[in-house]
Amino acid sequence: MSLTEGSARYAGSRVARVEDARLLTGHGTYVDDIQRPGMLHACFVRSPFARARIEQIDASAALALPGVHAVFTAQDLNPGVHELSFTAWRGVPDSQRPPLAEGEARFVGDPVAMVIAVDRYVAEDAAELVDVEYEALPAVVDYATAHETDALVWDEWAGNLLGRTNGRPVDDLAPIFESAHLVVDETIHQQAYVAVPMETRGSIVEWDGSELTIWASTQTPHDFRMFAARLLGIPEHSVRVIARDTGGAFGQKVNPHREDMCLYLAARKVPAPIKFVEDRRENLMASQSRHEHGRVRMAFDADGTILAASIDSVQDVGAYPIPWPVGSGSAVGALFPGGYRFSDATFDCRFMLSNTPGRTAYRGPWQFETVAREVTLDIAARRLGVDPVELRRRNLLRRDELPFVNGNGMPLTDMTPLETFEMAVDMLGYDAFRREQAEARAAGRYLGVGTASYVEPTASAMPFYGSEGATIRIEPSGVVNVYLAGGSAGNSLETTAVQLTADALGVDISMVHTIQGDTALTPFGAGTGGSRSGPMVAGAIRETAAVLRERIAAIAAHTLEAAAEDIVLEDGKAMVKGSPANALTYAQIADIAYFKAGKLPPDIPAGLEASARFRAEAPNVWANATHVCTCEVDVETGHVRLLRYIVAEDCGPMINPNVVEGQIAGGTVQGIGGALLEHFSWDEDGNPTATTFVDYLLPTSTEVPTIEYGHMEGSPGPGPGGYKGVGEGGAIGAPPAVVNAVNDALAPLGVTVTRLPADPAHIVSLLQQADAGEDRS
Amino acid sequence: MKPAPFAYHAPRSVDDAVALLAELDDAKVLAGGQSLAPLLNMRLAVFSDLVDLRHLDELRGIERRDGALWIGAATTQATVERSDEVAAAVPLLAKATPLIGHLQIRNRGTIGGSIAHADPAAEYPAVALALDAEMEVTSVRGTRVVRAADFFDGLWSTALADDELLRGIRFPVWEGRCGFAVEEVARRHGDFAVAGACVAVELGDGDVVERCRIGMFGLGSTPERGVDAEVAAQGRPVAELDARQLGEAAVAPLTSIPEDLNGSADYRRRVGAVAVARAWTRAVEEAR
Repeated sequence: MSLTEGSARYAGSRVARVEDARLLTGHGTYVDDIQRPGMLHACFVRSPFARARIEQIDASAALALPGVHAVFTAQDLNPGVHELSFTAWRGVPDSQRPPLAEGEARFVGDPVAMVIAVDRYVAEDAAELVDVEYEALPAVVDYATAHETDALVWDEWAGNLLGRTNGRPVDDLAPIFESAHLVVDETIHQQAYVAVPMETRGSIVEWDGSELTIWASTQTPHDFRMFAARLLGIPEHSVRVIARDTGGAFGQKVNPHREDMCLYLAARKVPAPIKFVEDRRENLMASQSRHEHGRVRMAFDADGTILAASIDSVQDVGAYPIPWPVGSGSAVGALFPGGYRFSDATFDCRFMLSNTPGRTAYRGPWQFETVAREVTLDIAARRLGVDPVELRRRNLLRRDELPFVNGNGMPLTDMTPLETFEMAVDMLGYDAFRREQAEARAAGRYLGVGTASYVEPTASAMPFYGSEGATIRIEPSGVVNVYLAGGSAGNSLETTAVQLTADALGVDISMVHTIQGDTALTPFGAGTGGSRSGPMVAGAIRETAAVLRERIAAIAAHTLEAAAEDIVLEDGKAMVKGSPANALTYAQIADIAYFKAGKLPPDIPAGLEASARFRAEAPNVWANATHVCTCEVDVETGHVRLLRYIVAEDCGPMINPNVVEGQIAGGTVQGIGGALLEHFSWDEDGNPTATTFVDYLLPTSTEVPTIEYGHMEGSPGPGPGGYKGVGEGGAIGAPPAVVNAVNDALAPLGVTVTRLPADPAHIVSLLQQADAGEDRS
Repeated sequence: MKPAPFAYHAPRSVDDAVALLAELDDAKVLAGGQSLAPLLNMRLAVFSDLVDLRHLDELRGIERRDGALWIGAATTQATVERSDEVAAAVPLLAKATPLIGHLQIRNRGTIGGSIAHADPAAEYPAVALALDAEMEVTSVRGTRVVRAADFFDGLWSTALADDELLRGIRFPVWEGRCGFAVEEVARRHGDFAVAGACVAVELGDGDVVERCRIGMFGLGSTPERGVDAEVAAQGRPVAELDARQLGEAAVAPLTSIPEDLNGSADYRRRVGAVAVARAWTRAVEEAR
């Protein structure tokens, strides 16, 4: 143990979450729990057309309704926009994003007017009375054909193409493909599905004449503040964002949405606080977080060695994407080679506009690279006559082969792709399952097993994300407060902070409290996103605690007449090494630091409060995992029942296994939903067809088996503690693992699902097609 | 998702309730609200007045009356689920109940509410139809009894007039060597059925089918009876009957199978036949 670093007493242990008592007893504070004096409520009038010219808006009947305070249209709010940009992509030419639809409505649900009234009931009554005259226009409903239609979502983007990024010329790979033993060429389709946080989006805004206070449901309080300040053209310190509890976010709350912009703009026009909490229908219509397809080509040797691969990825970015999808979506191409040992690859990513809601980030936004690759690998294994597990064994990178630059230029390091895969396969008892499967097939039952392996860049050092601050104050009584930017949306960031701070200062965990989410109180930081919080918060606490440790040791050394190097910090005390009785408690040291400045060493500042910033030490921190799923398919009804679900992951040393497993479980369940149940779809006119939980089917406890975890901790990352991010991976690995299990079960019947979700009707129709094909032959 | 304004009434007697229904032009009965409240919240339905049955103890209860089992319309599904009387006298109803939504829904939802709402994908209307249940209907004009076969007359539509209240349901009690089964194909536990079937069968000597009833749900604009399959099975020994063929016979005449995100009409017809076949097999096993 060095003077500047604590020991790991709590890190690595299953410390109970400090959030639980508050949240489980109903004492959480979400946006809708907050009441402000005189608060009014907002409701949006939304377009019933996928694309329509807005001819005229008559709000007179709405304004005449008792209790209605205002009806705003684009003419009222949009001119108030000073600057519109997202912090992570400042300076990038972006697609248009007016607060309210201006001139043209561009998807069903597009906010066209904003009603402010005494309560949400009256606001909804008034919204029905706002008379909007539309002229319906031909809509671009299907992004996959958006390049062929005459209709344009935005005149500025010809062919509805918002952007395109490429790897090396595909012709470079032609010789490899031409001479390969097998080339698999498959197009995999991922349906639109969405994040569905339990708490919908919402904010309260309050303008007091000089300061705007925003109570937000967000992952990024400081970014919301910067965004609002830029939007309104007011200084950052005139905006305060407060986010106490956020009930799930998953990327959907990483950037302010257009409804947020309307609230910020309306705040200065209405002499009262305004609350807007969207309802579930609005939330489901807010975004299509995933909706894409890709043509995958993979070339193999006769023994199953992957020689080369390419993906042509097409993503639906909707009408108003956030953030800049060309930047974030290109990761599909870059990561497509996964953790496999081949160096020839390329990609082509196209980002298509459509008259549907905008694409937003969703837990592993590039996740399609794993879906496309892993589903294709299983198809390849069947064609090669090689067991899919064996195929991966031959191609996955071992730890000792890293660093390795993948075919699309990503430098992989500090991971265990093959070792983690073997752990997961072992946990299943793969050979035993194959025997069970064979017995079941003999009895007319169809069992299947699927795996999916991925590598994931976490804790990016990109601008804005690459540093994180902490302030730690040891109070005069000796208890500790740690201040962090926060942005926890259920990801246990308070527990993490308390655990790491207790270790860093050598105090009991009960002595530590954390304050997060209020921009007026906490250090600047980028919030949660990109699986960054664990590694970055660990760095921020380490840096800040080091300052305090040094100060505590100096005060103790001075007071106890010992050398600073001989001071040990433990159990909330500073003691002289080898002489534990010769010690000062932190309370005694705080008493000196705050109240007896004359007793401080001459060069030591008064007080026990410090702030410092951690700077990321690598471009990102690589994590990897393997998912294994087994299922039984009822071939008469097409129903899929999951039997076992295993996740082995390498997220480095764990700060708290409970938190790690909670993160994996949450993501995995979302991925299972994406594989089997969730489907946000539109009819041919662009009307969404699943806008309530009757039609938008989330997995529940009866659909999800117990998730079994394997932790591969042997490959620490480059940063503090070796910690890696683990927030997103579950959602990346689950869809292909489930689809591969279904395809394995159906393989004897000649059926392969390449279009998600693998819903019962889809499976039965594939079985019928296979039957018909047999009859013909 | 806030309802449009409405006036709320919670009468203290059935007489007061039917008087309100007679007097008000645009009233809807609130009998648990598990379907009605979401419809109101989404403004898919708007009524000027709601008449809540919550205080009407006269509409609650489960008792044997004249060889039938009478269940008050405002009896919650959870009460039906826990009732030994129901399990003994009308096993098909007992088996169908756990498939309705989730426990929280069954704590509020009522049998009368479910039957009067007449969702064609719901369990209770199909059970009522299969068993030839009788609906006791009352209004200021008097009381009448409507057979289930005459009660469900369209999508979410029944023989109830605007001023009428469903008071109770009488389920016939089957004695003898009987078996009952409900089979449902649903996307998730607790969802409305994509297709479902309930089968009641009574066997005589030599395992001959003395009596059988097949109800289907999710396969039309109303609950449906599998009459062709019933006729095919009637009087024949079960060993001679092929469950799959019975399933296909049951769904063959259906002409208004709905389609939605969960499947085409063709898919529903297929899995409807599967549901009938599986329910048949289990009901027969139970009877033997």
